[in-house]
Amino acid sequence: MAVVNERKHVVPSRPVNTGPTLRQQVSERDRLTQETGHYYGITDLSLRDADPIKYERFYNKLHAAVLAARESARFVAASPGSREMGECLWGITTPEGDTLAVSMGFLSHTAIFPVAIRYMADNDYDVNDGIEDGDVYAVSDGKTGGVPHPGDFYSFTSICHEGEVVGWAVGINHLMENGAPVAGSWATFSVDTFMDGLVCPPMRTGRKLRQESWWKAIWERRTRASTMNILDDKMRLAGCAMINNAAHDLLAEFGAEYYKRAIREVIEESRRMIVDNMRALMVPGTYNGCAFRLVKYEGLQNVWSHANKNTLIHVRASVEPNEKGLMLDTEGSSRWGYHSYNATPGGADAAVFLGMINSFAHNTKVTAGIELAVQRHYAVGSIYNPDYEFTSNANLWAQTVALNSIGFNAVSRATFSRGYMEEAFTIDGNWGAFQGAGTTADGTSYGFTNFEWLGGTGRGAWCYKDGEPLVWAAWSQIATIGDAEEFEACVPPLFYLGRKLLPGYFGYGKYRGGPGNSAVHWCVEPGKHVALTRPNGGLSCTTSVGLGMSGAYPGPGSFMISARGTNLPELIKEGETPRDARELLAQVDSGQLTVENLEIWKTDCPELALHDHDLFVDAAGSSGGWGDPLDRNPMLVIADLNDGVAPDYDFVSNMHGVVASQNADGDWTLDAAATTAKRAALRKARLDESQPAADWWQQERNKVLAKDFVPEVHEMYSQSLSFAKFDGEFRRFWQVPAEFNFSKE
Amino acid sequence: MASEASISKELISQLVEGTIDDDNATRLQRLPRKDQDRFMNYCAVLQARVSWQDQILLRLGDKLYVVRNAANQRVVKCDCGHEFGDYRQNWKLGCKVRVRRTLAEMREVYDPAPACPEPGWQEVREFFCPDCAAQHSVEVVAPGYPVVFEMLPDLDKFYRDYLGQPLPDEAGDWYADRTADLTQRWAASAAG
Repeated sequence: MAVVNERKHVVPSRPVNTGPTLRQQVSERDRLTQETGHYYGITDLSLRDADPIKYERFYNKLHAAVLAARESARFVAASPGSREMGECLWGITTPEGDTLAVSMGFLSHTAIFPVAIRYMADNDYDVNDGIEDGDVYAVSDGKTGGVPHPGDFYSFTSICHEGEVVGWAVGINHLMENGAPVAGSWATFSVDTFMDGLVCPPMRTGRKLRQESWWKAIWERRTRASTMNILDDKMRLAGCAMINNAAHDLLAEFGAEYYKRAIREVIEESRRMIVDNMRALMVPGTYNGCAFRLVKYEGLQNVWSHANKNTLIHVRASVEPNEKGLMLDTEGSSRWGYHSYNATPGGADAAVFLGMINSFAHNTKVTAGIELAVQRHYAVGSIYNPDYEFTSNANLWAQTVALNSIGFNAVSRATFSRGYMEEAFTIDGNWGAFQGAGTTADGTSYGFTNFEWLGGTGRGAWCYKDGEPLVWAAWSQIATIGDAEEFEACVPPLFYLGRKLLPGYFGYGKYRGGPGNSAVHWCVEPGKHVALTRPNGGLSCTTSVGLGMSGAYPGPGSFMISARGTNLPELIKEGETPRDARELLAQVDSGQLTVENLEIWKTDCPELALHDHDLFVDAAGSSGGWGDPLDRNPMLVIADLNDGVAPDYDFVSNMHGVVASQNADGDWTLDAAATTAKRAALRKARLDESQPAADWWQQERNKVLAKDFVPEVHEMYSQSLSFAKFDGEFRRFWQVPAEFNFSKE
Repeated sequence: MASEASISKELISQLVEGTIDDDNATRLQRLPRKDQDRFMNYCAVLQARVSWQDQILLRLGDKLYVVRNAANQRVVKCDCGHEFGDYRQNWKLGCKVRVRRTLAEMREVYDPAPACPEPGWQEVREFFCPDCAAQHSVEVVAPGYPVVFEMLPDLDKFYRDYLGQPLPDEAGDWYADRTADLTQRWAASAAG
């Protein structure tokens, strides 16, 4: 006779919340906001109007708490990316996850907070088995947490008062390594979420502002840079603890009733200000933009045969100001695919809000108010809103940054037209990094990411002057490329031979973009193994965005070079080692540097194993120009030649129509008369070498009707025309017959 | 939210000419609220720089404007005086177009060599004024990509609701993309 174990009834060990459930709170927020058009139904800023000093004092204390969290916690414990660079953020939110204040750093990540909270509410986290003050939740999943990519890791800690969740303290940072098959922080070549590394839907990992013991084991066993990741985990939690304490102080000082009302008023106040700013800065209308990003997987995904194909990702967006703020519509962008570049609505938001916060929250409180002012349409089934729940989101940042650039450039166009030229510049997001893993001679394994070209890139040209190098990181106010020495310490076999601006590497125009960056990494005694890959915001087989500004060329994408099997020891003796990509290629061309296996990567590189004296060279962070290159002040061209910004005289002479001569000391002097003549000749050549748009259209239309494109382009149109908006635009533009389509035949 | 002091036309002119110094540019960027009369002053500065009399309604690019011409039409106009036609049609279709399709052609505008877009997947389109050859726009897009209508302004809404100065020829159909009217005609002429 079988013995049946008697199950004991499990009594919940945690107290049941006595206030409204999280689900009720989220539902109430949605209802009130939707019904009134005002955040949480707040139509009057009664606290602010009754006592503005008290109200601002309340907010300043809230804001000070998150600022202090960052400035203290990153010195408690942190990886170099968090401590030295802008790769982190702390915030405080409402119970529903709506941002009240954020620190310096990853400003746009505020947009994802409500995604994770909604998931917890919908799944009754506070009912079973309850949420208590100081609970710690880990979040790194795109679908349930809205996370931009799993390399960005979030700690949510609950703030409870008298049995009710009244808010959340949130800390975020970019991990050095997140345990995917492809080592590093962006799992390139992921096919689905199961290859994205440590992906956590909201899950409780600690209580009473302390992580539970088991959580450390996750970092140690599921990532390759556990030391760094544990430091960062402590850092996030330390900041959250400070915010939690500050929130309780505020509740004690101002009272719960005031607190609950004030946190809604600050969001409504900033929403109003942002809508007002949009109206003050923009011109109503429709702004369109596009970008492309190639995924070259064919031949590299033999194990995962369903992913063994190339994809040309199409990023399409329009911006249209309206009464509530503005609408950003991405319909027409590609469908999701078996690659690592898929977004989720939350992840797309994290990119879109970069430009929006930068442009419209400059004179108000940075809160969730902007999320109401910027309406977003991410079509179901698209790369921004996949209808497959297991898409990889490992490197969505590689293409969503282009989406941000399109929206941000729309604002630039608007401010230019409106006359606020001081705000108008070309926006790019051409970031790069490298990542990998190794094992030293003594058997110690490590994983790494070098964030340098993510931390600081060239800023695109202004409409009235050249862009600057290194100062731009759309994702953070703190543009810095970090310390070379720290990165060398994190990747034991790699040493810098050079780390500098790359001459000539920018978009040309009347005003040029800020030059991009390049570094030469030298592999020395790698031990048992070291190999790397490189994620990139955009690769040079496409430009970072599709449209130049006012006649300038868009900024080029990034690229990298692997030079394996070199004669570097001989060059070291001569003291003539290459310092950037241009110098390396010149030394190869001249025969000075010999390379057994030289590869130039304009698309994602697969894992590159390096040995003694192998070189890895990257270039990223270039930016676009503004205006017609033939309108550039000739003396600026001369300055670029003399400063080494423009290294190729013939190139810039033909680009800008400038004629100059170089003296024995190497200084360039303008020939004004010859310049005038050359510009006239180049303008004539433009007309001679071009054709009326009507003629061009007839020829191109024939190609379209014949579908005379490479397979990747054909597939791109097939996907984008499956969305009605782009399908209509395409059909109207090319006037193709109703039966025309790009479906596979 | 009181309106701040007006910014001088001289300073606006320096922005347009690219001669503004960094201190003044920074000062303008740091205004908590922009000067509300900027647009009209901007238009006045721009109007003084062009050789023609048509009223500038909006600046679209460095050398490109929506104007009301002598025939009382709202058209896109180049600095040189060339008219591209109804502003509701994408003005790029009134340009001359040069397309860079090969690596050698793209290498003339991208440096260093590995920075060049990839032929077949991308092409570089340059849009010129048919009269003065000004390069008004560059597209780097996939072959076959519809020419992008970068900005279609809603002028009536702008002047009435944003500026409080309605245009005299307000009408219900000024904010509409009419580009397809042109491509339809082109298709008909090809068929005919």
